[in-house]
Amino acid sequence: MNTLIAIGGLAVLVLIAEIINLRKFIIPITIIGLLGILGLTINDFGLQATYFNNMIVVNKFSTAFNSLFIVLTIFLVTLSGDFYKDQLPKISDYISLKLFLLMGAVSMVSFGNMAMFFLGLEILSISLYILAGSNRKDIRSNESGMKYFLLGSFASGVVLFGIAFIYGATATFDIGEIFKLAINGGIPKWYQLGVVLIIIGMLFKIAAVPFHFWAPDVYQGAPTLTTTLMSTLAKVVAIATLYKLSLILTLSMPEAYITALVFISIITMTVGNIMALRQDNIKRLLAYSGISHAGFMIMALVNLAQSEASLFYYATAYALAGIAAFTVVIVVCRGKSEELIEQFNGLAKRSPLLAAVMSIALLSMGGIPIFAGFFGKFFLFSQALEKGYITLVIFGVINSIISIFYYFKVILAMYTKEVEENASELQIPLSYKVVGVVAILINIVIGLYPSFLLDIF
Amino acid sequence: MIEILFYILSTLTIGSAVLTILSKNPIHSAIWLVVSFFSIAGHYILLNAQFLGMVHIMVYSGAIMILMLFTIMLMNLNVTNEIQKPFVTKIVATISFCLVGVLLLSIAMRANQSFELNYAQTGEDFQSVHVLGKILLDEYVVPFEMVAILLLLSMIGAVLISKKDKKVA
Repeated sequence: MNTLIAIGGLAVLVLIAEIINLRKFIIPITIIGLLGILGLTINDFGLQATYFNNMIVVNKFSTAFNSLFIVLTIFLVTLSGDFYKDQLPKISDYISLKLFLLMGAVSMVSFGNMAMFFLGLEILSISLYILAGSNRKDIRSNESGMKYFLLGSFASGVVLFGIAFIYGATATFDIGEIFKLAINGGIPKWYQLGVVLIIIGMLFKIAAVPFHFWAPDVYQGAPTLTTTLMSTLAKVVAIATLYKLSLILTLSMPEAYITALVFISIITMTVGNIMALRQDNIKRLLAYSGISHAGFMIMALVNLAQSEASLFYYATAYALAGIAAFTVVIVVCRGKSEELIEQFNGLAKRSPLLAAVMSIALLSMGGIPIFAGFFGKFFLFSQALEKGYITLVIFGVINSIISIFYYFKVILAMYTKEVEENASELQIPLSYKVVGVVAILINIVIGLYPSFLLDIF
Repeated sequence: MIEILFYILSTLTIGSAVLTILSKNPIHSAIWLVVSFFSIAGHYILLNAQFLGMVHIMVYSGAIMILMLFTIMLMNLNVTNEIQKPFVTKIVATISFCLVGVLLLSIAMRANQSFELNYAQTGEDFQSVHVLGKILLDEYVVPFEMVAILLLLSMIGAVLISKKDKKVA
């Protein structure tokens, strides 16, 4: 609860800083404020409490994920300083939008009432629509914002329809009471219809196949920093919410529901990876790779009771690697009309540091041992094996192997190809180096000590 | 008395809806739609749904209609040039409209059974704005504030997208 209020206060402070002409201090103030809020959130650890008539529920799950969201937002805000340096008059709008988005994210994992869940979802999505279309003179940004807006609002509508069905079946919005009514049985059939609609809406938000068609176009067209936000923060928020919703709603679902989930998980991984093999645009490649990672994370839903910790671990590893990779993409592809893999040719000579950061990030996403991504996959696989989903795990392993191919395409370009002749000198702002290196270091540290994150649950 | 009012409102609703479709000029069409929305709000108030009625007037007759009129004017659609659709499209549109009409009619014909609902007599009017306001600012105060944030950020977004790009010195 304190987290939510503090983030709101910080966002308003940013808006006030614009009025009294303190634009230069907005980013330092926001970073310091967010670090303070991170401390406040971690301080709540182990607390079990509900606030305001059960509107907000604080437990280990919500505190852990809120801390992750805040860390990711700190990275994104740090990157914003240089990314928006040509649009200084708009900086307070961008930063406050990101903070409001974080508020939506926080209320999506700590809701105790369906109203809060839906409002959080809308706050998150509407900020993303705005950020995706924020580069208004670029036609691809317009396309991205428009597509995301139309499809995303349709998905929100589906979620709302599902909530209405559940309200019709249980006459309450409170998740505790819905849970009780659902496991006691004797609930009308349209309850299950409502649950399926909500799950479909959330699968759209995490870009799972067959609801993934928006992702590559939107990721490619949006400003790169917004793409970073969508593929790390927004995806992690959506998957955490999907997990929480599944815990509450799906216990009374028929057997076929799990079969459908297993199928969606397999097809998401496979389609994402196979499409990624053919991309020559790095943002599209990372978009498809994000789709396949969504498939891996859906694996956590087949073993709901025990996969909380491993889902959190996977989400952390994926998001940190994503932040590091996109940091490099922003630097390398700045000022270019398209973000092609060719632009990474010979990066190792132009900037060994960035090439190393990018390689480690991609290796971690691909699941090479000692980096966190490997252990994330390992824990999810072993969780699925415990429940006996061997087919799912076999497909997961095959897909990890496929994914190595396209990650190595980028790494090979960086280390073995020659620099393009007309390549200009790379200008790497200090903040980008810091973000890339810190994200990678955290990734390696949690890879070496997985129990550090796993034991908090 | 209520019954007479209901029939007047219904005639108004259906009549203006038909005129919305039949007007050649898009602006006239839009204005007939406003009349239709107002009379639907009248129906809500007849059913004692005061809040819904007021919100309907504000959102539909106000915001959405202004949006539509702006779009019509900005895109310069008020020229009455008839767009000829291919013959097949017309046929398909007619058939699908007739099917939807039959479906709606059959639903309406079946709905003639009446339900005896026993409302508890608490002496309190649960549909009044008083009760709604109390619940909104007591039990649902956090969602209420979140809605405020949602509106604020959409406003910031509108400003962000329409702000002039200034050259930074």
